[in-house]
Amino acid sequence: MLIFSVFKTLTDQQVTVELKNDLSITGVLKSVDQFLNIRLDNIKVSDEARHPHMMAVKNCFIRGSVVRYVQLPAEHVDTQLLEDATRREAVSQAKR
Amino acid sequence: MDPSASGIQEPFDLIRLSLSERVFVKLRGDRELTGILHAYDGHMNLILSDVEETIMIVDTEGAPDGQGTVNVAKRRMEMLFVRGDGVILVSPPSRT
Amino acid sequence: MDDTPPPPSEQSPPPPPPATHTGSPTDFLKGVVGKRVIVRLTSGVDYRGILSCLDGYMNIALEQTEEHVNGVVTNRYGDAFIRGNNVLYISAAEVL
Repeated sequence: MLIFSVFKTLTDQQVTVELKNDLSITGVLKSVDQFLNIRLDNIKVSDEARHPHMMAVKNCFIRGSVVRYVQLPAEHVDTQLLEDATRREAVSQAKR
Repeated sequence: MDPSASGIQEPFDLIRLSLSERVFVKLRGDRELTGILHAYDGHMNLILSDVEETIMIVDTEGAPDGQGTVNVAKRRMEMLFVRGDGVILVSPPSRT
Repeated sequence: MDDTPPPPSEQSPPPPPPATHTGSPTDFLKGVVGKRVIVRLTSGVDYRGILSCLDGYMNIALEQTEEHVNGVVTNRYGDAFIRGNNVLYISAAEVL
């Protein structure tokens, strides 16, 4: 839930999503859901020569389970806030 | 009844005590990260900053003795979300 | 023609109980906390260390951990968190 909230605060920011098949897609984060499925707009594939079929694609939906990394805009991430929220969530989940 | 001197009662305590510290993360696909831990959840989704990724690429061709040459690729990322399903191991900075 | 095979429900005699130990898997896990263990991952990598604690997902916290790949020590960690889904087994490395 915490990570979902973080992604929500980053909507309309530019992110780079790296998939488990090594495809990297940069685009504007339009929406995210609780499974961390992601919708991206204005996308650009990092290595277009290797993925020419992606050149005409302007936006996409990425299933959360195929994501390896998401590179976030550091200037829009409040790390102190994250750590405090993580500690709070850890306490509430302590007896899972 | 708690045998460990460090006062850790459940595995996630180890991670919680590493918030805002540099951690080592071993991932599936022969990848390793070091970065400063800012957030995590019960899936071991992570948010790290100042990340260095190391990818081990084992080249087995022409190596009959079983030991291929290992090529290493490194890259840096400022702020990174790591999906928990790829995590194998997290190691905090050694505290004594 | 229709000599159907006998139903597979024939009761095979239960295997003899192991000579030394009794008790459930949970009892075993309770017994090895604080002891030296070998944790084998599905990848075949072994971690040898002192079991600090574990949870219901078999997430594991180890202390004084050595990583063994093909019998060779490849890493050492003061503390290590292992994500439970990677665990194949936990073996006691000292008498209980």
